[in-house]
Amino acid sequence: MTSRDVDGLLKKGRAYAGRTKYKEAIAYFDKALSLDPANPEAWNFRAGVFIETGRNTEALADCERAIALNQNFADAWIKKGHALYNLGRFEDAVVACTRALALNGNDASAWYIKGVCLDELGRNDEAGEAYGKSLELEIILDMEAEKRKIGKYPA
Amino acid sequence: MKTEIPLSKPIRQFIRVTETLLDTEISLLRNPEADPNGTLVDVYTYNIDKNVILFPVHYMGLLKDFIIARHCIRLLIKGAAVKKSRYLVCSYTKNSMYKGIHQIYIDALKDEAKKERKLPVIKLIRMLNILYTSFNDDINELPWNPITNARIYHRMPSIRKTQLYYLMKESKKDMDEMKEYEDIIPRRYFVLNKSMFYARDQYLAKTLPADELMPVINIPQMKKFNHLEVKEMLTTRWTHTSWYQSKIFGDAMLEIMEKYLQKIDWNAEDTIDYFYDIYQSGVLMTNHFISYMSMKDWFVWESPQHLQEVQLKKAEYEHEALKKIFGDLIGESPGDFTSES
Repeated sequence: MTSRDVDGLLKKGRAYAGRTKYKEAIAYFDKALSLDPANPEAWNFRAGVFIETGRNTEALADCERAIALNQNFADAWIKKGHALYNLGRFEDAVVACTRALALNGNDASAWYIKGVCLDELGRNDEAGEAYGKSLELEIILDMEAEKRKIGKYPA
Repeated sequence: MKTEIPLSKPIRQFIRVTETLLDTEISLLRNPEADPNGTLVDVYTYNIDKNVILFPVHYMGLLKDFIIARHCIRLLIKGAAVKKSRYLVCSYTKNSMYKGIHQIYIDALKDEAKKERKLPVIKLIRMLNILYTSFNDDINELPWNPITNARIYHRMPSIRKTQLYYLMKESKKDMDEMKEYEDIIPRRYFVLNKSMFYARDQYLAKTLPADELMPVINIPQMKKFNHLEVKEMLTTRWTHTSWYQSKIFGDAMLEIMEKYLQKIDWNAEDTIDYFYDIYQSGVLMTNHFISYMSMKDWFVWESPQHLQEVQLKKAEYEHEALKKIFGDLIGESPGDFTSES
C-alpha cells in the first residue's frame, strides 16, 4: 500500500460523492480507510457522505476519529457541527463550529450553522452576528463565482 | 420536507407552512449546474410527484435561504391558483406568435428607415424571433418579482440584508440585458424592456424602507455603496445610464404596478385565499402591462403544459410566421432563421 493508492481511492470517492453517487463513494472511502485508518481526510470525507445521506450518528463518529487524528482539522470540526445540528444537539454544535472558526474564520458554512444553532437556542443577538459574518463570506464567494463566469479571471 | 441541509428557523417554518397549505412536499437540491436564481421544478407545471428547489452549490447560507423563500412564495401562488381555480401562464399560439413577430418587424422597418447602416436581413429576422421570446419570458417572470420581494421583506426580516445584495445583483443584470443589441433592437422594444425593470426597481426602492437595507459594509466590493440608501442604490444607477429615457414609460409602468400591489396586505395570515388573491393581482397587473405595451394579440393565457408544448413547436411556428412575412425569402425548412439556429 502506498499513500498514492490511498489518495487515488479518496479522489475517486470524492468524484462519486460530487455526483451524488453516495454508495460508490462510501465504498471507496471504506477501502481507503482499510488501507490507512490513520488518515484523517478519509474519515472526514466519509463523514461528509454520511451527513448527505442522513446517517448523522455515523458521521459524528467519523468526525471524532478525524479530529482525534488531527485536533486542528477545521473541516472535520465543521462537519461535526453539522452532524450535531442535524441530531438536534445545538449547544454541542455551537461549540464545534466555534472551534472550527477559531481554526478557519473564513468558512461561511461554519458561521451559518453556528447562526442557525444559536437561533434555535434563542440567542438571537449572537445568531444575528453569526448570520452577518456568514453572509459577508457568502457574498464574496458569489462575487468570485460571478467573475469566473464572465471570465474576468480563470477558475 | 426531509433534508440534511441546514436551514434558518424562519425558512424551515416557511417551507413547512407551504407544504401544509398546499398538501405537497418540497425537496431541496444543491446542484453545480443550478441557475444563480435557483430553479423551482413544481408539480403544477411539470408531471412530477414532488416539488424541487435547486440552488447553486456555493449558496450554503442565507443566499440559499433567500432563493428558497422566493420559490416557496411562487409555489404558494401557483398552488393557490390550482386549488381555487386554474393556474395560467402567458403562452402563445401559431397565430399570436405571427402577430407579435409581424408587429416587431413593422417597428423594425420604421427604425431601419432612419438608419444609415442597415441591419443585414439574417440578423433582422433572428432579432424578431429572439425579441418575441424574450418578451414572453419576461412577462411571465417580471410581475411576480416585486410580489415575492415585498412579501419576503415584510415577513422575513432576518434575510433582508441578503435580499439587498440580491436585488442589487439582479437589477444590474437586468439593466445590462440587451445592451449589446441596443443598435439592433427597435428602440420601442428596447425602451419597453428596460421600463419593466425600471418600474420593478422603483417599486422595490419605495416599498423596502432603506434604513434596514444598508449594505454589508464590511465587504470591500460593496464599500462604494456605503452610506447610500437602497432607494438611491436602485434609482441613481438608472439615472446614470443611457436607459434613462425609459423613465417616462417606466414611471407609467410603476403606476400600473402600484395600482395592483397596493391592495395587498403583506402581513396578512398565510392562507390559500390570501395567495389566490395575490395570484389574481399578478394576473391583472400582467394584463395591464401587456395592454400598455400594445401586445394584447401576442400572448394567450393558457396552462403551463400548453406553454411547454408550444415551446417544443417554437421553431415550426417561427418558420411559418416568417414565411408569412417574408414569403419566398424564407426556405422550406424550419431552423434556417429561427431563434434556435
